[in-house]
Amino acid sequence: MSEQDQVGRGIGTDDWVAQHEDRVGAPQTGMARLAQQWTRLPALARWGIPLVIFLSVPFIGSSDYILRIGVNLGLFVLLALGLNLVVGYSGLLDLGFVAFYGFGAYAYAMLSSEQFGVHLNSLVALVIVISTTASFGFILGLPSRRLTGDYLAIATLFFGQMFAVFVVSSDEFQLPGMSDTVDLTGGANGITQVDQISVLGFTFETNLSYYLLVVALVVFFTVATKRIHFSRHGLAWRSLGEDAVAAQHMTIPTVRLKLLAFTIGAGVAGLAGAIFASVQQGVYPSEFMLPLLITIYAALILGGLGSIPGILLGAFIMVVLPEVLRFPDYSNGIFLAVLVISVVATVKSWKVLVWAFGGMVVIGFLVNGVLLAMQVPYLAAKEWITGPLAPVLGSWVFMPENRVLFGNIAFVALVGLAAWMSIMSRRSRIIVLPLALWLAIWTWEVRLLLEPSVTRQLLIGALLIVLMASRPQGLLGKPRVEVL
Amino acid sequence: MTTTALELTSVTKTFGGLVSLDALSLSVNEREVLSVIGPNGAGKTTFFNIITGVYQPDSGDVLLYGTSITGMTPDRVARMGVARTFQNVRLFLNLTVRENITAAMYGRTKSNLLDTLFGTPRARRERRENEDRMLDALSFFGTRLQGYRLDQPAYSLSYANRRRLEIARAMATGARVLLLDEPAAGMNPAETHEITEIIGRLRSERDYTIVVIEHDMHVVEGVSDRVIALDHGVKIAEGSFDSLATDPSVIEAYLGRGSAAKK
Repeated sequence: MSEQDQVGRGIGTDDWVAQHEDRVGAPQTGMARLAQQWTRLPALARWGIPLVIFLSVPFIGSSDYILRIGVNLGLFVLLALGLNLVVGYSGLLDLGFVAFYGFGAYAYAMLSSEQFGVHLNSLVALVIVISTTASFGFILGLPSRRLTGDYLAIATLFFGQMFAVFVVSSDEFQLPGMSDTVDLTGGANGITQVDQISVLGFTFETNLSYYLLVVALVVFFTVATKRIHFSRHGLAWRSLGEDAVAAQHMTIPTVRLKLLAFTIGAGVAGLAGAIFASVQQGVYPSEFMLPLLITIYAALILGGLGSIPGILLGAFIMVVLPEVLRFPDYSNGIFLAVLVISVVATVKSWKVLVWAFGGMVVIGFLVNGVLLAMQVPYLAAKEWITGPLAPVLGSWVFMPENRVLFGNIAFVALVGLAAWMSIMSRRSRIIVLPLALWLAIWTWEVRLLLEPSVTRQLLIGALLIVLMASRPQGLLGKPRVEVL
Repeated sequence: MTTTALELTSVTKTFGGLVSLDALSLSVNEREVLSVIGPNGAGKTTFFNIITGVYQPDSGDVLLYGTSITGMTPDRVARMGVARTFQNVRLFLNLTVRENITAAMYGRTKSNLLDTLFGTPRARRERRENEDRMLDALSFFGTRLQGYRLDQPAYSLSYANRRRLEIARAMATGARVLLLDEPAAGMNPAETHEITEIIGRLRSERDYTIVVIEHDMHVVEGVSDRVIALDHGVKIAEGSFDSLATDPSVIEAYLGRGSAAKK
């Protein structure tokens, strides 16, 4: 043990030195300790364990529904990995990315359906789809030679929107010099009865076969991305994202690399699109619009831009969470868990915790008593709640008969209280905390649980805000630093 | 016999009505250290930007070992053998020391994406060579940037280490001519002294041809074989440090008309 160990971290000894010499203290919380154990596992285990879990999903009594979510997740991961080359590595804000996904899907559908009576061999169709989508990526990349940042974002967003409009309105497409209109895309109805991918006599028909195909592709592209990360091109892309001017002065042909990133990213998206069209045997314009783009970006940012495990985790959360939240019992549990965890994670003192949750319980019973005494019409527990939380919440939450009215008032009060709390002193914030907690739960149970499709989005939004506020670099991302 | 490494023939660059370089001609011999001095706005950084291809000259030509590099993009100029550092250090801050240097070897390696994916012999060989070159470039700065620091992101380095890393990165491009834009700016006296020594060793041990823009006259005095003074884009004086230090036109450019007479 050196002298410095006993004194603690010496002056001028930074985090890196300390880490190098194993002088950083052991993690305090349970989660951090678990994370540390995980990073100590050999790389093979860290990648192998999730893979084995995913491969075993189809064989442990899962339904077609779960497999279908798995396929969607896999396609989503492919999209995220493709976009990562452009945004995560090269730092080019591409908001037209889903157009490539849509283009791939539509191109495949046109080449293998009754739309034009064409039924190409799947391999030929896939090659055509991927190469044309990649060429479109190249074309969309052209403005990036001059445009960066916000300006590139606007130009690419325009392209994405143009694709969406084109697809919806091209059921009566008029070619120049022809009097008749042609139905190119099927308009709002899309193209149906698309052939399924068939390779060397094997046709992908079941959800299981698609699931395995997608898992294989995800493994391939993950390994590829991992290899690229430290390679000549990976380093060039990443330095381009850091400082394009400096990169160009260091022998890196920036224009070529930008175009290459756009082209490959688009090609991957095209492949994913073709598989998507084949899985659901049809393509519909509504599937390739802004919400999907935003979800992909959310996954990238949530997981941590540029981090490969982060992308996978982010994609998993963004695809699986909304599905889980379809079921009120689950979403109820998740809401309460998130609430409790975020309070426990931010409040450090035990006394405050006891005050917050104790106060919350008391307020609940008080309100219950007061409203009962006022003879406000209410619903009995068994009329509004089922599931494991029923015995706990049923007697504590006062459920008025007019849920919409009470819920709306509570919601406005909650937002007002939250806004007010943000400008309070620390002391008064602690005093109001039990009330805010109770109000949040009450609003949730009374109003938000009534409309799961809306609450789902609200909850995901809230989760993202909480996560981004506490970890701006994403779950597994490294903090990016700008030196002033 | 001396070879001319870098030569500018009557280079003019204007921005709108502002003449930044006015028919500037100069040549740098191989293994020479040339310093460029001049007050702010004299056109020193424009001079670097013209050589590296950031700007195209309105007229005139830039020659590297007799070959014209005028009109080339910065990446091609760098591959031709001219690398630079920046006045306000421009590292890839979130990349590690190792990655910063390896990234700069893009132009001297040839692996394509398929080589990378399948780990072909070419990719493996280049990876080994890059590793050796990287360690070689860093070894020039002693142990400062070695060992555990290799895997440290550049932002975590001290200011002086960032400047050193930037020089190492320029070396890694494989260039024979280094353009250093104010290498001692913001450094303390000890570090300034060290930079002076490093520039000398870059020439004596590694045979680089070096052009330095510098405001610190101790550095200029310590490193230069020859000094050029610019003012308003015009070369006002050229010669040894001592001859320039007493040159009336240089003193006038820095201190204003009449200053030379008073002294």
